[in-house]
Amino acid sequence: MNPYLAGIGLGLVLLAAFVIMGRGLGASGAFSTLVSVGVAKVAPEHASGNAFYGQYLASESNPFKDWLVFEVIGVFVGGFLSGVLAGRIKRSTEKGPSISVRSRLTFAFLGGGLMGFGAKLARGCTSGQALTGGALLNVGSWAFMMCVFAGAYALAYVMRRQWQ
Amino acid sequence: MKQLLLNSTLNQRLAAVALVLGALAVVAGDPYQGHSATIDAKELSIIVQKEVDHVSPLELADWIIKGRADYRLIDLRAEKEFAAYAIPGAENVPVATLTDHGLMKNEKIVLCSEGGIHSAQAWMLLRSLGHSGVYILRGGVEGWNDEVLFPTLADNADAATRIEFAKTAEVSKYFGGSPRTGGGPVAATRPVIAAPKLDTPAGTVPAAGAKKKKKEGC
Amino acid sequence: MNAPFFKFGLFNDEVSLIVAVVIGIGFGFFLERAGFGSARKLAAQFYFTDMTVLKVMFTAIVTAMLGVYFLSVLGFVDLSLVYLTPTNLMPQVVGGLLLGFGFVIGGYCPGTSCVSAATGRTDGWVYLGGIVAGILVFGEAFPLIETFYNSTPMGQLTLAQLTGIPYGILVFAVVVMAIGAFMAADWGEKVMAAKKGGKA
Repeated sequence: MNPYLAGIGLGLVLLAAFVIMGRGLGASGAFSTLVSVGVAKVAPEHASGNAFYGQYLASESNPFKDWLVFEVIGVFVGGFLSGVLAGRIKRSTEKGPSISVRSRLTFAFLGGGLMGFGAKLARGCTSGQALTGGALLNVGSWAFMMCVFAGAYALAYVMRRQWQ
Repeated sequence: MKQLLLNSTLNQRLAAVALVLGALAVVAGDPYQGHSATIDAKELSIIVQKEVDHVSPLELADWIIKGRADYRLIDLRAEKEFAAYAIPGAENVPVATLTDHGLMKNEKIVLCSEGGIHSAQAWMLLRSLGHSGVYILRGGVEGWNDEVLFPTLADNADAATRIEFAKTAEVSKYFGGSPRTGGGPVAATRPVIAAPKLDTPAGTVPAAGAKKKKKEGC
Repeated sequence: MNAPFFKFGLFNDEVSLIVAVVIGIGFGFFLERAGFGSARKLAAQFYFTDMTVLKVMFTAIVTAMLGVYFLSVLGFVDLSLVYLTPTNLMPQVVGGLLLGFGFVIGGYCPGTSCVSAATGRTDGWVYLGGIVAGILVFGEAFPLIETFYNSTPMGQLTLAQLTGIPYGILVFAVVVMAIGAFMAADWGEKVMAAKKGGKA
């Protein structure tokens, strides 16, 4: 698909979130809920004493009855639908030609970990900060966005064997 | 011109649309509407005349007892006076900081001050900034004292008034006040305002100010 | 009209969750359409061979920015009711850098990894596992880093408030910048393709 048309589609979805809900998109928040609930299951006292987990457990009823959790469920469904329509559903591992599957998965886990930690520190990820805050001219989001690109380009040379 | 349009690619056309809209934005103004204000004088004058923007102290007392959380009670008095006594659930917002306090345009706001003047002025200010649900506590904190904390029953009251007063007395006790029956001139017998140092009655009233705080970020 | 609808109480929390799923479906659909289910496509951004990430991201930002700007100016949306994440500059700078490292190492961001997992990519699932682990580490370390997390608070702040430049002019500037970046990206892709072709 023409990337600009995909971008306009994405922008209109974001605009719909602004107009209907008065908020933007997100992704990492849903996983924070997941982690918080998990910790609260294993060690309830430990979780309630921690301000970070607390903010995701504050909901009076079920912590999973959360906007972002449902939105991310939608992301899975939407991604799957588009994949089916385009015939792109297949069991595979994305990697460059000169790296083993095992190393690629190790890097994926490591990258995911850095991303999870960084997203929480920055109060949002590419969706919640860069897209949403970008469109609202949010100062922190623009600073964040520049740093994401800076960080990725800075490490790109080191990681080139994984992708090329 | 037409030729140019026909020869351009989709991407070029999209870029042109974005540029035109962007250029329009330069002259279209501020989306946040800033601190400038507009008022509909006719509409406001009708509201003032009909007094639909008033909340009586007993009404407010009823809301508090019922634990309603669909409004914010904004106390405009100075910090010191607020510290001495405040209506349960009130938030202290001195008038000068009113516009920076993050009041939402869709919130129901009840204003109270010592008497009524600051409330009335703040009401006008908020209305002109586009807040639609702004109310004034009639008589302010003084009115609250007179009608809720220390209501007075005149000696010559008839039966219906007495029954009504019994209810008011209950409300008064709930808030730690003391209803008075009979007695001489009101002004002389009224206790000092600071009398009932009362925190939110234990367990019964959810903090009205602390509305549901849901995270909205990522 | 009063928008954002939810903030004016036009529907309740339960309905908002249905809205969430629908909006999420749209989000996931266009992410997948853009090709963001593939880590290789995403990572290519950082080697200048395929600048789709930049194109899609900035087109989306420009579209939503123009949309919400004009709807607000026309009085349809009350922009002050659209949630603006407060700025804490230093943690966001550091978080952004970490996220950038994670992006090029792992090949995804949280949203795209969901799409990748949904289309059957094993690395997408593993990446999601990594995110969960990263958040767990953050949560456990939170008491230690709370001070830093809350440092340099600047409140809800837009670029217009920060710079004093009128909002509309900034909107125009972002549009011009984006189009400039797209042209540069097209040129960069061509150069890289020629380089590769030359080598082969």
